[in-house]
Amino acid sequence: MALTQVSSNKCAGGLQKVFEHESVELKCKMKFAVYLPPKAETDKCPVLYWLSGLTCTEQNFITKAGSQLAAAEHGLIIVAPDTSPRGCGIEGEDESWDFGTGAGFYVDATQDPWKTNYRMYSYVTEELPKLINANFPTHPDRISISGHSMGGHGALICALKNPGKYKAVSAFAPICNPMQCPWGQKAFAGYLGSDRSTWEAFDATVLAASYSGPQLDILIDQGRDDQFLSASQLLPDNLIAVCSEKKIPVVFRLQPGYDHSYFFIYSFISDHIKHHAKYLNA
Amino acid sequence: MTSIRNRLQDKVAEMENVAGHLEEIFLTVEENFGRQEQHLEQHHNDVLQTLSQRHNERAAGLVEEKKSKMEALYSQLLSCGQALDASKELIETAQEIYRTPDKRVFLKVALTLSTKLDFETPPADLSDVKTMMDSVNAVPAPSAPVINPQMSNSATQTSLRVCWSLFSDDTVEYYDLYYRPVLEDTLADGFCQPHVSTVKVKETHCTVTDLLPNAQYELWVTATNTTGISPASEKALYMTVPSPPVIKQRECTSCPDAALIRWESGNTNPVDSYTVELSEMDTDGTQSSITESIVAVPTCQCLIQLLSGRRYLICVRAVNIGGPSDKSDPVYISTSGTFFYFLEETAHPCLSISEDGFTIFYGDEELPISQCFDFAFRCVAILGDLIPVRARHYWEVEVDEGTEFRIGVAYEDTERNSYLGVNGSSWCMRHILSSSRHKYEFLHNGWSPDLRITVHPVRIGVALDYDRGTLSFFNVNLEQHLHTFQCHFRNSVQPCFSLDNPGSLTVHNGIEAPEYTFI
Repeated sequence: MALTQVSSNKCAGGLQKVFEHESVELKCKMKFAVYLPPKAETDKCPVLYWLSGLTCTEQNFITKAGSQLAAAEHGLIIVAPDTSPRGCGIEGEDESWDFGTGAGFYVDATQDPWKTNYRMYSYVTEELPKLINANFPTHPDRISISGHSMGGHGALICALKNPGKYKAVSAFAPICNPMQCPWGQKAFAGYLGSDRSTWEAFDATVLAASYSGPQLDILIDQGRDDQFLSASQLLPDNLIAVCSEKKIPVVFRLQPGYDHSYFFIYSFISDHIKHHAKYLNA
Repeated sequence: MTSIRNRLQDKVAEMENVAGHLEEIFLTVEENFGRQEQHLEQHHNDVLQTLSQRHNERAAGLVEEKKSKMEALYSQLLSCGQALDASKELIETAQEIYRTPDKRVFLKVALTLSTKLDFETPPADLSDVKTMMDSVNAVPAPSAPVINPQMSNSATQTSLRVCWSLFSDDTVEYYDLYYRPVLEDTLADGFCQPHVSTVKVKETHCTVTDLLPNAQYELWVTATNTTGISPASEKALYMTVPSPPVIKQRECTSCPDAALIRWESGNTNPVDSYTVELSEMDTDGTQSSITESIVAVPTCQCLIQLLSGRRYLICVRAVNIGGPSDKSDPVYISTSGTFFYFLEETAHPCLSISEDGFTIFYGDEELPISQCFDFAFRCVAILGDLIPVRARHYWEVEVDEGTEFRIGVAYEDTERNSYLGVNGSSWCMRHILSSSRHKYEFLHNGWSPDLRITVHPVRIGVALDYDRGTLSFFNVNLEQHLHTFQCHFRNSVQPCFSLDNPGSLTVHNGIEAPEYTFI
């Protein structure tokens, strides 16, 4: 598994790097960003996986979210992959900004022409961690996951589908119930086909209703002035209702004045990193 | 027409009746009034008569007295004058005779009545000398002993050890020690001297018992031998040691770095100072042999710096010039966490506190309206007595599922007649139950962030960090962080607890703060 370093910048006392590799799951070249805190020079560190949202690459998070200071303070490695396979030459992959390139939805597609390359779920949960653990000073059993919007949906489903694998989970403005919103319906129909029962395996609200495993502690921040919230794309109330009933611990914060942008993520990223550090460093 | 006339006639008759009645009544009243007037006049005359009689009697008496006094004075004056005359004559005679050159004649004349001029040489009266010669071998009466000032650590609460010494080589058979308490009143007017007690001892020291604690006594001593009693020694002032103080267990608070101990003096009169003694307890419960003392504590409280994670035994002694009192009953302080009781005097009348002092109940009973108005505290709340140390503090609050509560901190001077969290001097977590849906607010200045919490916390951890300026809340059972206030606490804050509907809550403290609370 050869890694090629694309860039390296010193940041907050540590190193913000970008690597490229040939992905087996996605069958194309993929980039991902890795932040190595100062502690990584001498010790193994836990890893926080960050999944970005629609239209993002591995660059948005590392240049706009301001996560490096908190990561350095708590001694966490942060890995931020891209949001979909790129340059696969699939017809229609660049037609929409909310489907195809930059919109992988962290599923394993079952429908043509997507099923060969669009396997972001397996990439994030299997291939990428193996790669990271082989190349960086990590504690393989101390990982957690977070993300924004589509990446928030990705973080929630990865945690709910893999009880005990992630020590902590959090999300910014996640798509909580994709089966019930336009974005999710468009993406799932394309990647998974028309049988809606197959969609349930990738819907956080449905997964929460049947979750059984070690106790979770989910932190969710949502901007109150988020246009997609009012456009009923995110549907957090559905997830909260199910978690209340199933007694899955969630703290959901509605932040007045904040929108869907990276300015919002920047404002609360240290709270989330602290939340992850509490469980990763315990 | 006739009926009307008849009716009118009837009416007229009625009115005449009424008029007649009124007249009767008027006459009776007049009669009664007249009678009353007569009585009063009579009574008035009697009183006047008695008064004038008494006056006359007294006047007569005074006149008599005056007369007799005047007579007595007059006779005194007379005899005085006579004596003066006699003396004058005598002086003149004496002067005359004195001027004569022959003094013997003077003597002869002056002393004619009594003494002969010639010496007769009566036998010398040497009986005195004889007595003195006889008593050469006998012992003189002793001189006043010298009473010593009070030795330190010689007194107890109820006894004094008094010592004195002989002035010189006196022989003494026994001593009498006198003592009486010095009361503030006697120094003023000298009347009502307290009772003087006395003890007879053979040694030059004595332990006087049955005394009052923290009291001043005046003592003096006389020495006696066969010859007589010496004069009294100088008076010495001794003081008994005070009674031990009483530590107010429910008003002692602590945190991992310090403890605040409060006590009652245990003495009605003031003492000079207090000494606080502390020693560490080992894990198996035995007390360390090393005791640390803090002396010259001026008031009935002391803030002591301690080490965290230990157990201490603390006592207090009261000190005056007589010395230190016995140890008070001890208080045990554990510095594993922050520990406090409720401040009972801040409790709303609807709240009652459990016996162990850690649970409050808001009962269903209605308060009498007068009490509600007197106590302008709309919020059914109570404060905790947190130690005023600006460090980290952690405590937990246990609540029922159905209890609507507010818990947090507030400045001591927070407005009592407004709900917690509504003003800028209090911060709290609030739980509201509306049709079995749990809602949460984190209030300060009447504002709260918009939060949903899916699992209702029944045990809430509260973490206060003065340095960082944070107040955090946790679901203890899940180790889940709920919310953190960022605030600069300009003064010390007190934990506050209020119940918005009938229910109860219990405070658990003295707990070591879990690691995750102060990341």
